Amino acid sequence: MEKQTDLTVKHGAARRFVDQWKQNPLISTGLVLILMVIIQTAVMVAKADPNGNLALSLFNNWLNILRNNAPVGIIALGMTFVIISGGIDLGVGSTLVAVGAMVMMLIDGSATGLLAGMGITGVPAYFIGIVGGLLFGALLGELTGVLIAYGKLPPFIATLGTMKIFRSVTQQLMQHANPAVPKGFLNIANLRIGGFAVLPILYWLALAALLYLVSKRTTFGRHVYAIGSNVKTAKLSGINVRKVKRRIYALMGVLVAVAAIIQVSRIGSMDYASAGSGNEMDAIAAVIVGGTSMAGGKGSIIGTVLGMLIIGVMNNLLTLFGVPPFLREAFKGIIVIVAVLLQKKEADA
Amino acid sequence: MTLEMRGICKSFGANEVLKQVDFQIQGGEICALLGENGAGKSTLMNILGGVLSADQGTILIDEAPVQFHTPSDSLKAGVAFIHQELSLINDLAIFENMFINRELKKKSGLLDVGQMVTKTQEVFTRLDLDLDPRTMVRDLDASYKQIVEIARAMMMDASIIIMDEPTTALTDPEIERVFDMMRMLRRQGVGIIFISHKLREVMEVCDRYTVLRDGNMVASGSVSEVTTHDLARFMVGHDVRTESLRQSHEVGGEILRGEALSDGHNFRDVSFTVRAGEVLGVTGLLGDGRSELFQAIFGAAPYSGDLFVEGKPVKVTSTPQAIELGIGYVPRNRKENGIIKDMTILENGSIVTWPRLARLGIIDQARQRAEFDRQAAGLHIKYGRRSDLITSLSGGNQQKVVLAKWLSAGPKVLVLDNPTQGVDVGAKEEIYDIILRLAKEGVAVVVLSSEAQEIIRLCDRTLVMYHGIIQGELVGDAMNEQTIMHMATGGTAAGSDMVMEE
Repeated sequence: MEKQTDLTVKHGAARRFVDQWKQNPLISTGLVLILMVIIQTAVMVAKADPNGNLALSLFNNWLNILRNNAPVGIIALGMTFVIISGGIDLGVGSTLVAVGAMVMMLIDGSATGLLAGMGITGVPAYFIGIVGGLLFGALLGELTGVLIAYGKLPPFIATLGTMKIFRSVTQQLMQHANPAVPKGFLNIANLRIGGFAVLPILYWLALAALLYLVSKRTTFGRHVYAIGSNVKTAKLSGINVRKVKRRIYALMGVLVAVAAIIQVSRIGSMDYASAGSGNEMDAIAAVIVGGTSMAGGKGSIIGTVLGMLIIGVMNNLLTLFGVPPFLREAFKGIIVIVAVLLQKKEADA
Repeated sequence: MTLEMRGICKSFGANEVLKQVDFQIQGGEICALLGENGAGKSTLMNILGGVLSADQGTILIDEAPVQFHTPSDSLKAGVAFIHQELSLINDLAIFENMFINRELKKKSGLLDVGQMVTKTQEVFTRLDLDLDPRTMVRDLDASYKQIVEIARAMMMDASIIIMDEPTTALTDPEIERVFDMMRMLRRQGVGIIFISHKLREVMEVCDRYTVLRDGNMVASGSVSEVTTHDLARFMVGHDVRTESLRQSHEVGGEILRGEALSDGHNFRDVSFTVRAGEVLGVTGLLGDGRSELFQAIFGAAPYSGDLFVEGKPVKVTSTPQAIELGIGYVPRNRKENGIIKDMTILENGSIVTWPRLARLGIIDQARQRAEFDRQAAGLHIKYGRRSDLITSLSGGNQQKVVLAKWLSAGPKVLVLDNPTQGVDVGAKEEIYDIILRLAKEGVAVVVLSSEAQEIIRLCDRTLVMYHGIIQGELVGDAMNEQTIMHMATGGTAAGSDMVMEE
């Protein structure tokens, strides 16, 4: 480290950059991402079909990465708040299934549909379905939050419980139901704009921008950091710790509901046994790679978006390199471990 | 056995903690080691216990010099140190604790439980102690935990036992039990060094005393020849009282009144009032319950009893509610309770006012900065950039930032718990000025402090607490170190020229 500084002393701009770098670990996360994108582009250029449209296939590949990662990316945004506050939510995958089932029951176009049965179909039904889904997500999150804030359960335990309960109950209740998702609802995720299916990406980025502001500029956002860094001081500074915790998990629930709605709309169906399973770990991985501390108090929304993209691009690279599918999860594990090791190095330096 | 420490010196950096201290104790006596916080008691005993090594001086056992480099060295020589935080493991049985790290094993490598229980029982019998060695430590009360520690020392054939404030966490009957045990050991020829702040206990159980002040041995002798007043005077010395900062000013109406406040554990039946423009001191020694009392009043812990703000009855159940009522609390232990280390100077200095600065939940950055700048100027906070981390500041400036967050909340009553803890002399005086200015502006100020000097110089009136109750009240010139120390160690105000309140 010292040698580097010596070399750059002469160059004011370079020195400022190094200073910035030390202060802001996001810069290295961003650099890693850029490096990966360069490699990815190089590989695609090298493999390109001389007759095909290279620019278009690069662009499409990028959209695919973003779109595929949008639902987990949205969950990871909420997970950022949860982890900054010093908590964890293992129940998001199961919440996703529960909300997905709820939305599908609401909008089901056949005679069994809850809204269709009342004669509500089309856009009004979709609207109610979405609002109902978001509220249901908030409710499940609120329930988790109450267990943690008022029941004083460790978040790991509380959400291990909700993870088991939400999926199991959903599977039981839905075993004979077979809701059909109306065609129109599929537009929510699949509508093409200028020939490209970009909507999930837009939802993700819009939510990221909004939550970035929430994390930086609102009382709620700052209270989350305060609680995660020092819950005692937070309490003695007049922060209603329990209320803030409840809200964090409610927000998490709402974001999971958004992801659930996108999932339902993209595919038009849901496998209650497997949908969303593993999402909690993927979201946590993105948050961690993005530099948020598991100990709480430190982290950022931008970091989480970068972390999600790093994981997404890495998956894409693995495909391009022809790595067998069974080994892909191993690479995800490696990248999480390496990221945290590097962050530790940086913190110690 | 006779143990003697001669000419012990010890410095930490430039700070001379012990200056040529002599200390001695013989088997079959209980010797009190007294002194204020920072007088050097712990350092001296840590040297004897092999935790620290002396810069100069010798330790003699039966006239022969010995060297203690590690705790096990002194243990081998027969000196056992029972620390204030007991080293027992709650989830193991007594006999397992007695043999921890030197467990008896059978040939097969398995633990020899029977043998360990028998050996433990032997020690208990010798101490005339009716206790089942298989009892879990968790199920013992605090006094029996002390006693198990003593038994462990006895099992290792200790001839001198150092007990560091053993009675702090104990109730009166429990204290008696520990004292009985100490007397029993004395009869068996064991020497006990008893570190305590409670002078009445010293009078009750000790044969001799040694008083340290600022690293010097200032007095020692036989307990039967002195009174608690004498001991208190030895502890604080005859230092000339530094000039008082109290000024005559108008005291307004009652701001905060508590009646029969209790939490069933740390404080009991506490009643007090504090008025606008008044500086009320609350003092006492470790375990007096003053912090717990005011944290409860601030809504951070439950309490029973009645609380009145400006005459109106209130029930405070949360800290945001307390702030709304106009109560502020600057906590003790800045690092753990005062600052948020991952946040900036600006945020640490304004966290309390966020709800007021926000519209639709969005904090008005410009107003936040303006408000902070105003406080920073008024408090003379020295900082680089507002966006630097709070940890970049010195202790004194950190404390001022904590003050800034409370001043900007504009409280009617501000409680400051050890407000000058860990700040240098200059910053200390500045904080005193701020406190007096607040009082002048009509804020009711409550200063919690264990420093008698601070209380005397700053406060108009002082409550002295002892074990969770208000031992008495001192007004104006009746406040002096001896009287405060006397009352804080459980003495009553009778016979002194002071004002008493129920």
